Amino acid sequence: MDSVYCHANWAQSLGGISFPLLSDFNPKGAVAASYGLYLEQAGITDRATVIIDADGYVRHISSVTPSGERDLAELAGLCEEVAEGYRGDLPPVETPPGLEGKLELYVKSGCGFSKAVLLARDNLHLEDRIETHNVSEDAAALSVLRDLTGKEQAPCLVVDGRPMLESQDIIRHLVTRVTGWWTPEK
Amino acid sequence: MLAVGSKAPDFKLQDHFGREVTLSQFQGKRHVMLLFYPLDFTPT
Repeated sequence: MDSVYCHANWAQSLGGISFPLLSDFNPKGAVAASYGLYLEQAGITDRATVIIDADGYVRHISSVTPSGERDLAELAGLCEEVAEGYRGDLPPVETPPGLEGKLELYVKSGCGFSKAVLLARDNLHLEDRIETHNVSEDAAALSVLRDLTGKEQAPCLVVDGRPMLESQDIIRHLVTRVTGWWTPEK
Repeated sequence: MLAVGSKAPDFKLQDHFGREVTLSQFQGKRHVMLLFYPLDFTPT
């Protein structure tokens, strides 16, 4: 997967540090095709960028071809232009609450749920904020996990000594506080 | 590719946090940038 960064302020308002990766797979490439960006013969999506304003209109669309490289600085500049040229009021960007407390994460090897949490951690750049332990490799950590939760279930996020199990709950906790992205419907 | 000025087609997809995302949810709220890229592997 591409790890692409956009530093434009309004793009950050979508997802803070991280941004959602969408899976355009069922049917394959259907969304790309609706934008005229699915390369039928090759069976792949073009490496293209679309900027859409808050009214839902395409303001920019360009491709660097599948093997090309995006110029993110240029794209960020185009984002700013769209934002500045937009006539209309948008609701203010909400500041995400931020993460609080001592955070420890217990994961295990060969575990898809652990991998999902680690992916979220890395996408949100929390590697230094969260102390991570692999209980498959660290017997002491496994022991701590067992004492804390009464079982050896991972992944487990411990917030100020309080355990949180279930990868979706852990991920939601991290994402909502860091990006404000996963918020209840208003 | 679509022409500049045309209405962007709506979509409904899942993000990698498991949340459903549509284009229309941003209507009146945010501008959006979509970065399309070729699929490098086939998900299971």
